[in-house]
Amino acid sequence: MSRLFPRFAIVFAVVYALVYALAVWKNYALFTYHPALNEFGFGVQKPKDGPAMYWYGWMANAAIAGSLAGLLACLMPDTAARRLWPGLAWLVPLCAMLFFAWLLRGYFLR
Amino acid sequence: MLAAIGGEVTTTLLIVHGLLAVALLGAITHQAAAVLLPAARPAGSFTGRFRAVPAPIYANAVVVLYVLTAILGAIIYAEYRITIRIVLEELQLRVANGSFELKEHLAAIGLGMLPAYWWYWRQPATEASAARVRATLTVILAFVVWWNFLVGHIVNNIRGFGS
Repeated sequence: MSRLFPRFAIVFAVVYALVYALAVWKNYALFTYHPALNEFGFGVQKPKDGPAMYWYGWMANAAIAGSLAGLLACLMPDTAARRLWPGLAWLVPLCAMLFFAWLLRGYFLR
Repeated sequence: MLAAIGGEVTTTLLIVHGLLAVALLGAITHQAAAVLLPAARPAGSFTGRFRAVPAPIYANAVVVLYVLTAILGAIIYAEYRITIRIVLEELQLRVANGSFELKEHLAAIGLGMLPAYWWYWRQPATEASAARVRATLTVILAFVVWWNFLVGHIVNNIRGFGS
């Protein structure tokens, strides 16, 4: 636990943030929620009666990818794991946050 | 499931969401102040005592409060999407709309940082590199919590805010 968890946590933070940003940018949602109909549908679906919500599907993709990558990191040899810089756990999410500020700039600049 | 809940239940969940957010805001702000401006002990002043809290004991509470607040936020988000966002768009409140969009993305990314945040608060404070990582994670999460709290509060009151 004490040897493997930091690897998992660092890789999870990195991959989760990257996959979430990519999922939002390219709209890769694992599922779509139609709140007006109270319906879920697999993958990215067009709005039916009312808006379609992809946020849950983006997070699901990020959580699955982050978990799988974190588990794979636990299998890395110790020599490779020692090269994993802990600062990535905050640097990559911070960059993802700045990316979203850029992505949403149209709301604030027009 | 999410949007099938009634208006009164949504209001109740929104209030609980807000209360949890207040508790989270207090816990993470204590921690952020403690890592950014560590106080000399014993601290005499109010601000000194605010910064002199034993910050590690807040880590579990922050994780639990963050997850609970996010879950409740995710439940009521569907109602926001149907009823509130449309009003914001009709009123052309672009900054409010964009701020709320950013809030949802920051909250999601913050969730991904929680395992690392939790782990680094379990490490001895004497290890310099671990202390730097946990301080940075804490400050970023504190920013996320403050942003989300303020945006959520303002959007919740927007019909009366500034009018």
